[in-house]
Amino acid sequence: MLKNNVEYSSVSRTPTELALKRKLSPKLKDLLVIAGFIAPALLIYGIFVVYSIGMTFYYSLFNWSGINNSFEFIGIQNYLNLLKDGVFWEAFGNNSLLVASSLFTQLPLGLIMALLLFSPLKGMRFFRSIYFMPFLMSTVAIGILFTFMYDGNFGIVNQILKAVGLGSLQQGWLGNENTAIWAVIATICWQFAPFYMILFRAAIVGIPEELYEAAMIDGANAKQRFLKLTLPLLMPTIVTSSILSIIGSLKYFDLIYVMTGGGPNNSTELMATYMYEETFTNFNMGYGSSISFAMFLIALVITVIIVTSEQKRKGAN
Amino acid sequence: MTKILNKRMLCIFILILSLLAGCQPGAPTTKTSSNASSSNAKTLTIWHVETGAGEQSIKNAAKRFEDKHPGVTVKVVRQENDPYKTKLSVAMGGGNPPDVFHSWGGGWLKNFVDAGQVLDITNEVDKDNYLEAAISPATYEQKVYGVPIGMDIVPVWYNKEIFKKYGIEEPKTYDELLAIVKKLKANNIIPFALANKSKWPGSFYMMYLAERIGGKDLFNEAYERTGKGFDDDAYVQAATKIQELVKMGAFPDGVNGLNYDTGQSRQLLYSNKAAMEIQGSWIIGNIRNEMPEFEKKLGFFLFPAVEGGKGSAKDVVGGVSPVFSVAEKSANKELAVELVQELGSKETAEEMANTNGGISAVKGVQYEDEYVKKINTVLESAEYMQTYYDQTLPTEVASEHLDTTQGIFGLSITPEDAVKKVEEKAKEVIK
Repeated sequence: MLKNNVEYSSVSRTPTELALKRKLSPKLKDLLVIAGFIAPALLIYGIFVVYSIGMTFYYSLFNWSGINNSFEFIGIQNYLNLLKDGVFWEAFGNNSLLVASSLFTQLPLGLIMALLLFSPLKGMRFFRSIYFMPFLMSTVAIGILFTFMYDGNFGIVNQILKAVGLGSLQQGWLGNENTAIWAVIATICWQFAPFYMILFRAAIVGIPEELYEAAMIDGANAKQRFLKLTLPLLMPTIVTSSILSIIGSLKYFDLIYVMTGGGPNNSTELMATYMYEETFTNFNMGYGSSISFAMFLIALVITVIIVTSEQKRKGAN
Repeated sequence: MTKILNKRMLCIFILILSLLAGCQPGAPTTKTSSNASSSNAKTLTIWHVETGAGEQSIKNAAKRFEDKHPGVTVKVVRQENDPYKTKLSVAMGGGNPPDVFHSWGGGWLKNFVDAGQVLDITNEVDKDNYLEAAISPATYEQKVYGVPIGMDIVPVWYNKEIFKKYGIEEPKTYDELLAIVKKLKANNIIPFALANKSKWPGSFYMMYLAERIGGKDLFNEAYERTGKGFDDDAYVQAATKIQELVKMGAFPDGVNGLNYDTGQSRQLLYSNKAAMEIQGSWIIGNIRNEMPEFEKKLGFFLFPAVEGGKGSAKDVVGGVSPVFSVAEKSANKELAVELVQELGSKETAEEMANTNGGISAVKGVQYEDEYVKKINTVLESAEYMQTYYDQTLPTEVASEHLDTTQGIFGLSITPEDAVKKVEEKAKEVIK
């Protein structure tokens, strides 16, 4: 496109332009124009992503509190400590749990809700807004709302359990080490399923109607139409959603911070909340940075695996 | 055509330039603007965590300061208690701290003092104006780094109506307290309201039991590394007693998930579902703010003596709050020091004590409030004040203490393991 433009503009040349043309070879000129367009985004990306990642790694090589000027270079000692740190592995386990539950709850739930929105019922617009509501709410508001809902004495969750005769299951959901992580994960799924619903809905709308008509003429029933048509055509969206969901879950922070702060007794600690605690509460900027960088490495490896396997799949097709 | 090309180039050029301008580090620009405005209008920023009446006292002090210094504006910013600690360290680390900031003295403030972030105000403050116990947490190596305004003690608050209804008297011994717990439990009332998500409320139980069992020297020896340690038998016993209470059902369900800041423990008191709460005297301020009519039901006693223990039932757990310090990086240090002096004046301390339920850190204050008078009597008759562990200890040991104590309440760690972990951390950090 760019090249065409340049050639087009060179149809009628003014003397100055000719002079410019003579000095710069067309390739170099193209390069300059391209660079000019890329530069703004590249600069922002470079400063806020590449540079930050570099600095995080740099800080992780020091024993530094974050508030003073005494840097002590300790090499990879922070990383060695990290490998031996039980809390970090517990946090990593919780992150994996969150990844799994996001993949196997949020995505299917989002898909089901998206399909439901296509059913010919009255008031679907209304339901579409309702379904999307959780994603529009502020995370802190959701966190506080659910904290009250899970409250052992006044919470609606326990009241409902009592009302349906499951009173024996009543407990303080967020305060119990065995239930806290599930209570938070349920909230996270509630918040994010609508996001995938919107993605899937958009993708389904994009599937040409003719394909369904053709399938119906061939005598395909609803189940066949879904399995042989909708699902395969949704595959790219499903892959994208999975990547979003996995990366999002690996660096998740907000609701945990609001609802449990990583407690009780680190039972809901995620890598990001642990990093935050070490960096800002315990004044270990160096160690916190090593946790951040480890998170980056883990996310990078997983993304590379997904992307390459996706490319292989495409190649096989 | 040249024009078009030039326009295009110009556009790109402007885009890049504006981007570069936008990427300029913020510090120099803010500096020039503050320099430019310093000739006529100066702004001081103060960060505090007081709510309700306490916040008003600080605003009034700021107002008095503004009246004395025409052209100076004081920006009073309230921060939420628990996130405040991280927020300040981010601001300090980022080189953009508030001019005047809140702390509780002790180990936490010392982090910033050691990092050279706090102004030494020894010569600007008359130590004799303040209670010894109040100014010492902000004094390191004979240098004063902060001005205290108030002090709090931590008694056991209780609902007088509930106690009367079941014929319960204030307990004199720990066994009597256990009997009360059983009686309340039998009547379907939660004995202790507690919200332990942020970990410090549970720490009160640990501090009191350890002090009552091991005596007042226990903590100081462990802290100064001059004898007993944090793995002393008294700590094991204290932790065991907490777990006994947990198993008796003395606390609400899911106690480690409830949040004091959002009122989840106080709700239990207000709705008569719980009878007692061990909490700082700032709870009076909370109650007046949230449910003033509950105040007439409120009574308090000090944590009772444990049979055979070395501590006295007159000793209290307490601490200093707020302490105000000046940031070393403040652009208007002299003004900030004067603001701190205004905050630490008798006027502010008196107002705060009488409206917010704390003791004044400034000497010679007249108490009007009924609770404050009583609390003051308790503090005066106390032989020893145990300052909060989490404010006194270095941050890492404090975190370990809070984490393990939360684990003790959650029954997920044994008393022996818990105290061992704190001792290990103390060995590593305190030298």
